Formats: sequence, structure tokens, C-alpha cells
Amino acid sequence: MPKVTINDRTVEVEAGTNVIDAGLKAGVLVPHYCYHPRLTVVGQCRMCLVEITDNGKKMPKLQTACSSYVTKDGWSVRTDTPEVAEAQKGMMEFFLINHPLDCPICDQAGECGLQDYSFKHGVAFSRFQYEDKRTYPGRERIPLGANVVLNMNRCIQCTRCIRFTEEVAGTGELGFFNRGARVEIGTFPGKELSNPLATCVVDICPVGALTSTRFRFAERVWYLDKKPSICTGCEVGCNITMEQRRGDIKRYKPRFNVEVNDYWMCDYGRSSFERYKKLPRLTSPRVRAEGGNGHAPVVSTGWSQALDAVHRGIAGAAGTGEIAFLGSGFLTTEEAFLFARLADLMGAKNRSVPVDLGPERTIPRYKRPPITGREAAPNRRGAELAGLAGGGDLLHGDGAARCAVLVVCDSDFGQAAYDPETVARLRRAKLLVVFGWSDSPLAQAADVALPVAHHGEKEGTFVNVEWRVQRFERAFPPTGQVRPALDVLSDLLSRFEAGWSQLSAATVFDRLASELPAFAGLSWHRLPATGAALHVPEAQPKLSDQGAETAREASQ
Amino acid sequence: MAAKFEPVLTRNVGKPEALTLKGYRQLGGYEGLAKALTMEPDAVIDEVKKSGLRGRGGAGFPAGMKWSFIPKGKDKPKYLVCNADESEPGTFKDRLLMENDPHQLIEGCAICCFAVSAATCYIYIRGEYTKSAVILERALKEAYDAGILGDNVLGSGFKLNMYVHRGAGAYICGEETGMLESLEGKRGQPRVKPPFPAVVGAFGAPTVINNVETLCNVPHIITRGADWFKSIGTDEKNTGPKLYAISGHVDRPGTYEHPIGITFREMLDAAGGMWHGRQLKAFIPGGASAPILKPDQIDLKMDFDTVAKAGSMLGSAAVIVMDETTCMVRSVARLSKFFNHESCGQCTPCREGTNWMELVLDRLEHGEGTERDSQLLLSICKNIGGQSLCALGDAAIGPVKSLVDRFPEEIEQHVRNRACPFPRPRYFENGA
Ligand SMILES: Cc1cc2nc3c(=O)[nH]c(=O)nc-3n(C[C@H](O)[C@H](O)[C@H](O)COP(=O)(O)O)c2cc1C
Ligand code: SF4
Ligand code: SF4
Ligand code: FES
Repeated sequence: MPKVTINDRTVEVEAGTNVIDAGLKAGVLVPHYCYHPRLTVVGQCRMCLVEITDNGKKMPKLQTACSSYVTKDGWSVRTDTPEVAEAQKGMMEFFLINHPLDCPICDQAGECGLQDYSFKHGVAFSRFQYEDKRTYPGRERIPLGANVVLNMNRCIQCTRCIRFTEEVAGTGELGFFNRGARVEIGTFPGKELSNPLATCVVDICPVGALTSTRFRFAERVWYLDKKPSICTGCEVGCNITMEQRRGDIKRYKPRFNVEVNDYWMCDYGRSSFERYKKLPRLTSPRVRAEGGNGHAPVVSTGWSQALDAVHRGIAGAAGTGEIAFLGSGFLTTEEAFLFARLADLMGAKNRSVPVDLGPERTIPRYKRPPITGREAAPNRRGAELAGLAGGGDLLHGDGAARCAVLVVCDSDFGQAAYDPETVARLRRAKLLVVFGWSDSPLAQAADVALPVAHHGEKEGTFVNVEWRVQRFERAFPPTGQVRPALDVLSDLLSRFEAGWSQLSAATVFDRLASELPAFAGLSWHRLPATGAALHVPEAQPKLSDQGAETAREASQ
Repeated sequence: MAAKFEPVLTRNVGKPEALTLKGYRQLGGYEGLAKALTMEPDAVIDEVKKSGLRGRGGAGFPAGMKWSFIPKGKDKPKYLVCNADESEPGTFKDRLLMENDPHQLIEGCAICCFAVSAATCYIYIRGEYTKSAVILERALKEAYDAGILGDNVLGSGFKLNMYVHRGAGAYICGEETGMLESLEGKRGQPRVKPPFPAVVGAFGAPTVINNVETLCNVPHIITRGADWFKSIGTDEKNTGPKLYAISGHVDRPGTYEHPIGITFREMLDAAGGMWHGRQLKAFIPGGASAPILKPDQIDLKMDFDTVAKAGSMLGSAAVIVMDETTCMVRSVARLSKFFNHESCGQCTPCREGTNWMELVLDRLEHGEGTERDSQLLLSICKNIGGQSLCALGDAAIGPVKSLVDRFPEEIEQHVRNRACPFPRPRYFENGA
């Protein structure tokens, strides 16, 4: 592999790497706007000019780093000469003369390429004093589609958005119109920017020209607290950054993972946190007065009374009927593992994980086939691997009626939790215990309802459609009496057996990794940021990628 | 120039019979092609190399060398694209060739195609050149009917198809890669180089791009030999006959053929001198993008290297002559308006810089300039120069820089007077 020196730092790169990427490898950021590693190199913004010396011979002009490819030894690149600095300064001036400088009302402020490079490479005063700025009257807030708004005055004409729709989304709704200083971005006549990945253009737009309808004016970005997380929209498990302020989630942004979602995520996933705001929240444990069997009123209590009630109910049920467990594709693998241990202790055979089949969500990837999710939950695979597999279909038929105790974790496992008939069927269990973050009709029908955290309030792992286990962090703590299900389950388990109290996600993961062959050799703390592929034997077609239908049929 | 120069490229101008294949043949046409077909393709390239023929489109790149960059081998098709987009202000020489001697161009294209083994040639013609396009189309048809084009060129077994492709009227489509994009049906905007068209050109295949006049020279080089060609001109590197399109304040503006390297004074005399006996104030030697020269350069040899040494360029050899009534600020403001209008807008320095220059120059012309504007203009030029994606950016700064460098007193006058010191000519009155 050829070696290249950038500002005195020498790195070895694959032949054909451009100088921007080589710079990143050497720890040098070559400023750039139009270059994006997944889009055709167009060399348009001219921000990436550098000085290149080829075996002691300086190239006559400054070169664009994005379109200069290292193919052999002997290149020495400088990004810090007076000449380069002068060029960067000149380019920044060009970008700014016609820019509205409306940072105070711009959503991009704080994470804006123009602000950042101006600060680093620009000058503080303007020589554009006597002329009028170019504006695009009437083009300040054009909805390009349902999710993206264009303010043409702010655009720096880098064409990233155009190339994204053409080359990644494959839909090509956007184009460059007009020319010279009047050039503008727009949708082709009769088209709107409505592909499933549309909002990615907001992410790659270096400035505030493209904003997300959902996030517009929602928050100044410097107030956002950000944590690495996983989207729960489907089983692809796009890596995201969950961005929130004081427990109020403001947006999801895709987080780069070349194995899973590359730089992208779908618009549906981006909106998937909205259920946390829309649906009513279960805020305190509720227990039905003794012997009510669905008729006496439920009352709010503290956690110990509630867990006592569950403990009593389960212990007392021995011999009076079946005990069944209904899991969910939204549980973390660790929660599912504890839930399955509880089921083991009770000798419960019925422990299925129902998930909804959603529309397909497909994310294009680099040098890999696209990845597709068909289930509307992130972790059916992890839950099943952790031991939640087996038993009949409780959602249909009268299986629940034979149950002395039915424990559901959690209340928002799918659409069925909102379907009055299904709720009525599940209600026929003598004792219905429901864990949940939402106060769904199912939670309202429960004899014991336990308020637990949603995925922004807890940490854990999910196993995606390609059997990759990925860890996510807690973005913010739950409030009030809400506790992570892991805590609750560990409390509950320790009421039956010693050794289960006060478990953290890390301990549970390491324990399941030591017990489950699929996870062999993994540990919470050493789990790579990009996740790890599980060892799933070919011989388990029921758990393979053939789709949820097959998997569920086989588990019945 | 010892012996009297006989026109070469324009020898058939004014002979309507040259428009027909029969007439062109009677005048000696297609002998070059017939001869080339008996040679090895590489020998044709060598002959053109030896002739010293340099591109007549603007950059003056040696044509034979350009042809030799085309990879050999048959794994990819190859193309010739003839640049007939002629849009540089002041330039009207290719048009003369196409309208009066279309077969000369077809013959030149055919020889080039044979030399580089291209089976397809596109003549990309400026959209406004309707007459040229019609004449070329007619000539092409005749050539096909006579077996000069098609599956078996002059019975040699060489296969060649030639098409006229009409542009939609954009200066930037004259830039070679902008032209390729346009030819492929895309928005006409230049591509990043490398890769160069000789490697990845039209439809991803190796492509030669040459100007009309360049290609029109080729049949003569083949029939009369590289040595004859080299005998015309200033030196080894500036050879052959050259068309000069002279316009502005001269008595008889038009396209003239001279040996390359004739002095500007001789050329001016040939065009009847300054009109109405006026004084020469300035001249542009090579189209709108060439820096403006002052009368002290009147004895300049008009060839590629001498003009470059004098701080300008021969470009497309479109010579624009200005007399003492001309306001340089207004002239350059108008040129800047052109470049701003024609910039494709994809790259930052050209998109923003040409616009800014136009605004500043407009301001100066209207008496709203400041002392600092000269510096500002130079600095904008510096930030565009060598940093734009294609050469349009560099072209746009040529006139501006030369205005500041060579006519500083005129800018000062505009600033001091708070108005343009020149009477506004009547033909400018409707806002042009
Ligand atoms: C902005 C711009 C406009 C151009 N316009 C023309 C043109 O109209 N005709 C032309 O022959 N070359 C034009 N050129 C030059 C071409 O890019 C190219 O160099 C030329 O066609 C090559 O042919 P030659 O080597 O025979 O000169 C232009 C270049 C630039 C940068
Ligand atoms: S809208 Fe944004 S991404 Fe698109 S060209 Fe303008 S600045 Fe670039
Ligand atoms: S220099 Fe001007 S014409 Fe050339 S690519 Fe840049 S914007 Fe387009
Ligand atoms: S990043 Fe290189 S020109 Fe834009």
C-alpha cells in the first residue's frame, strides 16, 4: 500500500484513496463540503485545496484533495501553508458574501459547516459592503416533500443532496436548475422528495439549507444531549444518536456503521420516537384489590407492594393452572434473558415473542447488499436467543383462558395490545401482570401494571436481522417511579431465588454470553462500537433470516 | 513573410461549388483522406505531430500529441468530438469554415478518426449556428451517399459514422468536458479532471476533442506534408495558417487568414486600419478571456507563445479592437457580465467570484466606486485564478486583471469623477 505524508504525518493507505480520506487517517481534517465518501467526487466546492509535492516536485497549482488519489509512494501533502490558508480564506469569503448569515434563526447553527470553517479558516469582516446579496425571493421555505424544507438563500450549491437522491436513494428527485450565480436546487417538475430515505439529505447538507420538518425550530442544537443508541423502528437496527433535552427526545440522527446502516436511516425510523410522546405513559405501579379478577378497581401503589402482589400471585398459582409468559421484540436481550429465567423457574412452557410484520424498510449499504427489515420491532431474535421461544399463540385462540398467571412484558409489544378483542382474550387469565412504558389498553386491563423504562431510558443490546448484537446507551434516566425492566425483573427473580438481585445490564450480558453458545466469547465491555456478529448455527433455520413468519411458525 | 501567403483553410471561401461534394472534389478535396487511408494510423499521427499543429480552440495544445494519448487496443470504442460550439465573444472563424467548406471539416474529422481508430464522430455545433448545421448535414448526407462515410470509407474497410449534434446555446458547453456532458444528454457542466477525455471521455470511452479549425488543417498536412506546414509561421512551435476574427473599431471587420505569427499591425492594416481614422486604445488578441493589451504591443507577433509572453493569450484568435472613445471599465464590466451569465455555477470561485466582479465593475462604471476597488478586484481575481474547476474561472479574470494592471488611471478617473468620464455611446442607451 502506498505511503503518503500529510503535514509531516505519514500513513499508509489503500491505493486510490483520496487525500481527504488519507488525511482523516493521519488525523488531519482537510476542510471540504461537496465530498462525501459515498457520493461521486465532483470537485465543486473547491474548499479542499491543498499543496501536493510529488517526490520533491511541487505541483504547479493547488489541488483539490477530494479528487487527488494516492496511487504511489512519494506524495507529501500540506494543508497549512500560507498559500493554502489564503485559498481557504478566499473560498470562505465566496461562500459568505451571498449567504444570509441568519444563524440566529437557523436550525443548523451550532452544527454548521459554514460556521465551523469560517471560524477556522475565514476572516471576521466582510469586503462585500456595497453590493446587494443574491437572494431567491419566495424560495426561503419550500417544502421539497413531507419531511424536508429548503431555504435556497442558505444553500452553498455543493450538490450533495442531488447526488444522494441519484446515487444512494436511486430516486433522483432533485436537480440543479439555472446556472452561474443564479443556480438553484429543486425538485424536478411533478416530483417531490418523498423517498423513504429523504431526510438523509438534511444530514448531509453542510448548511441550514435543508431542514427537517420534524426538527425545525424544535431545539437549539447546543442544548441537545446525545447518546449512541439503536433505532427501534425495525429489525435492521440502524445505529443512531438519540438527541434529547431533559428527557424530551428531539431527533434521531443516523450514526455511521458500515456493517449495518452505513451513514443512513429511513424516515420512518426517524419518527419512531414519537410514540413515546404520543402514547399515555404508565407512571406508577398499579395493583387490583385482592380477589378482584378484573372487577375490583386498581389502585396505585409503591414498587414493593406491587412486586409482593406479583410474587404472591405466581407462588399461589402453583397447581391451579398454567403460567404463561408473553415477551416482546422491544425487550433488550438482557431483559429477555431474565424474563426467560423467571419462566424457567416457573416451569412455564409458553413464552412466545409476538412481533408485528411491518412494511419493508431497506437501507442501501456500501459494497454490501442492502439490508432489509420486515418486523416492526428491533429484537425478536435477541429475545428468542435469550430463551423466549416456545408455546402456543396466546394472542389468538383461548390459550390465555387456561392460565392462572399471564405475565406480559411489555405492554406495547405490537398493535394487538391496542386491539380490544385481543386484550379481552388475554384478560381471561386469572392473574394478568403487565410490564410497560405505555398505558396501553392491555396495561389498563392488567391486575398488576408495572411502569418500566422505554429504550431511551435504559441500556442494553439488540440483535438485528443479520444476527449482529449491538449495544446502546441510556440517553436519560426514567422519571418518577418508572424503573428499567431489568431492575424490576432482577428484583422479582431474587424473591424466588438468591443471586439475582441488583443486576446491571453488563452483568446480565456477561452471564448470558457465558451460557448461550451464540454469544460465546463476547463481553459487555469489549463489545465493539459497531456490534458483533453472533455465532448462529446454520442448523437453526427457525432462527435464520427467512423472515418472521417462518420463525414464528416453527416456534409454535 | 517572404513569398506571398496563399490562403489554405479559406481557399474555397467564395467558391459556392465547394459546398457540393463534386465541387469539393474538383478542388482537390478528399485527397488527404484517400492518402491517409493508405498510411498506418500511427504514421498519420506522426505527421500531424511533426507539423507542429496546435489546437485552434483556445489552449493551443499540440494536436498530434493529443491524438497519441488515445489508448490503442480495441476493448473500448473511441470517439472524436469536433468542437464547433464557437461561443467565445468575438470569435467567428469556425462558422466561416463550416458555412463555406463543410467537406474540408468532414475530411479532417475522418482523417483524425482513422488515426485514432474512432468509429464515431460527433460535430457538436453551437445551437445558434442553424445555417452551419444545415450545410453540414447536407454535406454529411452527400458523403455517406458517396461512400466517404459509413461502413466502408472510400473502400478501405474503415468504418466511420459522423453526426451533427446541436447544442442548446451555452458558452460552457464549449469547454470540452462540459460538451461531453451535454452530448450525453446531461446538464452541460464541466467534469473534474483527471480523468482526461483521452482516457474517459464521451460515454466513458477514450475521446479526442478538437476545434473545427484544428481539424480543417489536417487534410492539408496530409496532402502537402508536415514540412510544408512547418514552413509557415514563426517557429517550430507556432506553425501553419491561422484564422483571425477581427472585430471592433476597424474599418473592415471579418475573418482573415494569415500565416500564424503575423504582427497585430499587419493584421490591422489588412482589415483596413482603425475606423474613421481613430486612435487605437486597446486590443484583445484572443477572445473575451484574453487579457487586454495596449497600443505599445502593436508590433506583437500574433502566435501562441509570443502573445503569452506579452501577458495575454492567443486563445481563439478573436481580435477585438478598441478606439480612444472606448470606456475600458464599461467594456470589462460587460465582459464580466458575460462570464457571470455563462458560468455553470457548480464551483464556488467562479460562481461567486464572477458575480462579485460584475457587481463591483458595475458600481465603478456608475460612479459608485471606491479607492479600494482595484485592490478588491485583484484579490477576487487571485481567489478565482487557478482554483476553479474548469478554465472559465481563469478566463473570467483575464480582462479584469488587465484592466486593473494596464488601465489604472481609468479606474481612478471613474472613482474621482464619481461618474464615467466617457460619453455614453448611443447604442448603449437601452441599458446594454
Ligand atoms: C469556458 C470555455 C469555453 C470554451 N469554448 C470553446 C469553443 O467554443 N470552441 C472551442 O473550440 N474550444 C473551446 N474551449 C476549449 C476547449 O475546452 C478545448 O480546449 C478545445 O476544444 C480543444 O480543441 P483544440 O485542441 O483543437 O483547440 C473552451 C474552453 C473553455 C474553458
Ligand atoms: S441544499 Fe444543502 S446539500 Fe443541497 S446543494 Fe445546497 S448546501 Fe448542498
Ligand atoms: S469555473 Fe465556472 S464554468 Fe467552470 S466549473 Fe466552475 S462554475 Fe462552472
Ligand atoms: S471537497 Fe473537494 S472540491 Fe469540494
